Amino acid sequence: MDLSLETRHEGGHTIIEVGGEIDVYTAPKLRDKITELVGNGEYNLVIDMEKVDFLDSTGLGVLVGGLKKVRAHDGSMRLICNQERLLKIFRITGLAKVFVIHSSQADALAEH
Amino acid sequence: MGVARTSTGITVSIARDPALVRTVRLIAAAVARRTSHDEEFVEEVRLAVGEACALMVGEDPEGQGPVTVRLAIGGRLKVDVVASGPVAVADSPDSDVDGVEPWALLRGLIDDLAVQREGDTTTLSMSWPVALTA
Repeated sequence: MDLSLETRHEGGHTIIEVGGEIDVYTAPKLRDKITELVGNGEYNLVIDMEKVDFLDSTGLGVLVGGLKKVRAHDGSMRLICNQERLLKIFRITGLAKVFVIHSSQADALAEH
Repeated sequence: MGVARTSTGITVSIARDPALVRTVRLIAAAVARRTSHDEEFVEEVRLAVGEACALMVGEDPEGQGPVTVRLAIGGRLKVDVVASGPVAVADSPDSDVDGVEPWALLRGLIDDLAVQREGDTTTLSMSWPVALTA
């Protein structure tokens, strides 16, 4: 399974719906997408990971890098994730305290 | 990519191509599934072996030898990931949350993790207790 990325705009945020596997091979594709969006002035990102089947440390690195990019422009990056196996990875690495992780797009977009 | 079956497991050798790490993950999951129907356990093995393999493949794999992954089922599920050439065996001190922390993830995932260097070869070993299923 490759990585799929679908982007749309809602409520002043740019939502990236990610599907498939984020690993050492595919993570650069996500990094490029985030870099492109930030380059276009889109600083409030929501990364929807509900269709992500696999996430490794390379993917985490890309997310952290993206968070730094948007914060440099006073922006935000919110994650949407309900999958325990992914949430466990965020907890193990301590990143659960770094990211704001929501359970749904509605929650992510409602919070300001 | 070469694949060899042994009496207790399987050995896979891949070129240092990030695209091939997924193949190793799939094999690791299949082997783990032989020992347990617990999908959480299978997922842990898949993630750990994928992490170890990605570490060995590295971000700049050109000019390096293959990465060999040996998975063996005995009293434990034992996995060795072997590669030649330099392999960083710890996260850089300044990595913090600013970058990838694969070793932090691996050490958090696995109780039994060992890294051994012999000459130019690095072996990353990990194992899990198993209860063989029929």
